[in-house]
Amino acid sequence: MHALIIDDSRTMRSILKRIVHEIGFETTEAANGQEALDVLEAGLVPDLCLIDWNMPLMDGYTFVTRVRADERWRSMTLMMVTTESEHGQIVRALAAGAHEYVIKPFTADAIVEKLELLGLAVREVPA
Amino acid sequence: MTPGGTDGPDVISETNFGFVADLLRRETAMLCERGKEYLVEARLLPLARQAGDPDVDHYVDRLRRDAGERARAVDALTINETSWFRDLAPYQAFVDDVLPRLLAARVDTRRLTIWSAACSSGQEAYSLAMLLDEHLPAGWTARIHATDVSPTMVERVRAGRYSQVEMNRGMPATRLVKYFQRVGSEWEVQPQLRTMVTTQVMNLAAPLPPLPTFDVVLLRNVLIYFDHATKQSILDRVQATIAEDGFLMLGSTETTLDLETTWTRESAGPAGRVVLHRPRHGRAVSRPFPDSSSPAASPHLTLRTGA
Amino acid sequence: MIAIDEPTISDVHAVVEEVWTSFLGSDEPIQIGASTETTSLVDRLMLDDDTWTAAITVTGAWEAMILISVPVPAAGLITVGMLGLDPAEAETCGLEDLTDALGELVNIVGGGVKSLMPGPSALSLPLVAQGAITSTSNLEEVCAVDLTWHGHPIRVSIDVPRTTHGIGG
Repeated sequence: MHALIIDDSRTMRSILKRIVHEIGFETTEAANGQEALDVLEAGLVPDLCLIDWNMPLMDGYTFVTRVRADERWRSMTLMMVTTESEHGQIVRALAAGAHEYVIKPFTADAIVEKLELLGLAVREVPA
Repeated sequence: MTPGGTDGPDVISETNFGFVADLLRRETAMLCERGKEYLVEARLLPLARQAGDPDVDHYVDRLRRDAGERARAVDALTINETSWFRDLAPYQAFVDDVLPRLLAARVDTRRLTIWSAACSSGQEAYSLAMLLDEHLPAGWTARIHATDVSPTMVERVRAGRYSQVEMNRGMPATRLVKYFQRVGSEWEVQPQLRTMVTTQVMNLAAPLPPLPTFDVVLLRNVLIYFDHATKQSILDRVQATIAEDGFLMLGSTETTLDLETTWTRESAGPAGRVVLHRPRHGRAVSRPFPDSSSPAASPHLTLRTGA
Repeated sequence: MIAIDEPTISDVHAVVEEVWTSFLGSDEPIQIGASTETTSLVDRLMLDDDTWTAAITVTGAWEAMILISVPVPAAGLITVGMLGLDPAEAETCGLEDLTDALGELVNIVGGGVKSLMPGPSALSLPLVAQGAITSTSNLEEVCAVDLTWHGHPIRVSIDVPRTTHGIGG
């Protein structure tokens, strides 16, 4: 499994990277929506994109809209990970095609549980 | 994630751990066995700092002489960090296996009654309420009775307000926007769900108050913290409240103790991983309470040990 | 019409505490109230190079600037905590790491504070500086929370435009 982590903060990319590494993801990083699109255009099709909202050059909402308009990237799961927490913004992101939405701050458990909802992580259940 | 917590192995002394374990057992009937030292340490360290103590051992000395602080410590040790739709599979089993059978069996009354026993802050009760809102046919009603030994927890369920951090824990974004609205720094559950949930302060380890007959009882991740005799008496009392064709759902690591005599088991949910417990016909022979003079036991204790 | 121009101190504190607990752990809680050494430090905060300040602005239905001021050692601890580095590196962490971590911190706190107020509004990208950050617009402080973490004073404050504050009838 491969995750593309899109956030203009290196700190946040590092936090997310550590969490998804723990559950077996490989990662690629991008510092804004445009950089992420460039990564996709270069041929990487990750299973998951973790997407900040507010970024320079291209924000996460625009990135989601662009990705959803392109057949090549249909299989990717898109999860917003952002400090934007207005009810209306979550609705907007979902309508644009984001599959899940995590509001910062979050704990590692929160990310993993969301990935479980999306079928991208399986927690060990004792027999 | 606690990247800040990488201090050296500052482990609580054996004597002090024993004191804390005794305290918990006395106040709550909960077992705190060896090997849980790190957990006690993690839960008590913030309180120690707040009290001005350099470490947990000093804080335990304080506990020996300060009853008010003991109450705070017990609260901190029994905080239940929980998720919406916790473990997912039981909720899938509820929708795929339990609900269709109850819809067939209750076609006369068109009413379901569910008990979220040891409900803590209410995530289980409201998760069920969301599923029922989505899956109950028109004309049906459901009531979810949420009980906990802690009045603070029951009040939280009644208020139906959750912090941002709590909302992140397993709540699908589509349901977040459908069932919650922002109020200040918190999210508040919609009235349509609140009206489905009733609450009551209740101690499972003591004789139960009069209760309706339940179609489903969820008693998840509770029994593991009690000794064998207490578990047995809780299971007996709970069984007496379940309809003959009703269901009991326990935590994934928990079992009914005397399967053959009083319960049957069925596999359900994804890959059959969820166990549904059903009362055997004829019911359990009611047995005396092991020790009615034992201190009030607290069944909501779900010290999370994993994840 | 009643204009509510600022969130309450307790709501702001709740936001800050959630951010701290999520990213910096709960072993060392961030506590409301100034430490004994805080008073003098707070007085110096606006002037001194001993302090890092991170700021973010909110524009839209609510307009404000949210600032977090921390002494240099606390800035180091925040940085290693958020980046998952060895605490021993707190004093030597790179400038880029430090500004990035503080910028993300004020971004998340700012997002939380923004959510307390009527929307819609938008967050700017964060600014981080050693010493004070002063806006050229006519702002005044309407809410300040003094906190203590690892014995260091942390100050979260909210400035709003003078022209709108107090006009509410």
